[in-house]
Amino acid sequence: MPLKWVLHWQPNAGSTVNSQILNEVSQCVESIHGVKGGKWKATLTFYKPILRDQNSPAAEFPRDFLGISLPEQPNKYYLIIRGQRIVLEADFTIQAIMEKLQSYKLRVALNFEGFQYQLGDFQLRVGKVVPNNSENLRGIVMEIEYLPISSMEKSRQVMEEFFDVWQEAMSKSSLPGRFMHIESNFAEYGLSDYYTSQHTAVQYGNVMAQLIATVQAVQSARN
Amino acid sequence: MECVVQGIIETQHVEALEILLQGICGVPRERLRLHEICLKSGPSLGAVASEVRILCDLEQAEPTWTVKHIGGAIRGAGAEQLSVLVRTMVESKVSKNVLRLFYALGYKLDHELLRVGFAFRFHRGAHITVTVSSVNKMLKLHSTDEAVPVTPGIQLVEVTAPATSDNYSEVAGAVSTFCEYLAPLLHLSKPGISTGVVPTAAAAAASLLSADGAGTTM
Repeated sequence: MPLKWVLHWQPNAGSTVNSQILNEVSQCVESIHGVKGGKWKATLTFYKPILRDQNSPAAEFPRDFLGISLPEQPNKYYLIIRGQRIVLEADFTIQAIMEKLQSYKLRVALNFEGFQYQLGDFQLRVGKVVPNNSENLRGIVMEIEYLPISSMEKSRQVMEEFFDVWQEAMSKSSLPGRFMHIESNFAEYGLSDYYTSQHTAVQYGNVMAQLIATVQAVQSARN
Repeated sequence: MECVVQGIIETQHVEALEILLQGICGVPRERLRLHEICLKSGPSLGAVASEVRILCDLEQAEPTWTVKHIGGAIRGAGAEQLSVLVRTMVESKVSKNVLRLFYALGYKLDHELLRVGFAFRFHRGAHITVTVSSVNKMLKLHSTDEAVPVTPGIQLVEVTAPATSDNYSEVAGAVSTFCEYLAPLLHLSKPGISTGVVPTAAAAAASLLSADGAGTTM
């Protein structure tokens, strides 16, 4: 399947993300002749262990695991334990199984949603990150998908070149921040060079960790 | 949700059962070689103790993995009157690292089994699956090549059909009707209610084998 990079918006120190930035990012995609397509939506859910005895050593269990649904695989669901570098691909019914087991409970769910754009061999998706029960903007993400190639290594150069072009286009807006691409540790998750939706799920897990780190950095700066 | 009944048959009559099933179902049998790993939640994990089964289909060229959760049976006067058990059941096909994930989540190995036999899948008022298998235990962890029968000479027969809360009565009816065809060879009843082997099995098997010609000794 086509490979993609999942990027997140990193605000400059002292600034925060807002919907104006999201608008400008969308305008920027259109300014480089991205043709607006349909909507897209991914979801990410945190599951926390339910402990029968609150005094039991919490270290026995992961502090949380992630459940991710992706628009590219509507019948699949991905479970990720980041600490142990495990990504599992499952039919979406795994959610019902987790609910019946009553060993982990759903704590926070976030939606990644926005519009997709076609740009030659590239497909871009720009999206806001919002809790599933409110419109509070928590972050901005962007997917850059290169349709002709599935090898991570073979596509590296073309992806880097496109990313440079994109950063150049964005720099004209003088926005207080920039999109970041974090190299994902796919090999640690046992994933090969051939791109799959499990790679996408791992990237969303990593982007989520970055968004949390950003929020925590802003909060500690305020305190 | 699924409707389910179980029964047992002596291994010597399995060939006759296969001929009977082949005649009723009209579909070829599928070989069955299923590694079933039962996991239970660790002592302090979860609002309640929980159990989940990890199934590995060894019959495929590349083994496939499934997570299966079997819940409680439906209750009430209506359920009592049904001759089949109706229970919640959810399955999810998963990638091959599923065992590692559940161990990481705090689940422990309770027991494991290897089911070897055959299955028929067909539609007869409901999507019915009949499995006939010998249940084997492993002498060493995950050593499916060294499995030995739990009950030598006896095989387990299970009839299941997926159902919903709206149609389970009809599905249960279809399963019951189907079970009557097998009655000369075995009794099928709700899991946990053992009815043993049937006295007519030997005669029925002999009749089936002679009719088919498969039992003719040279």
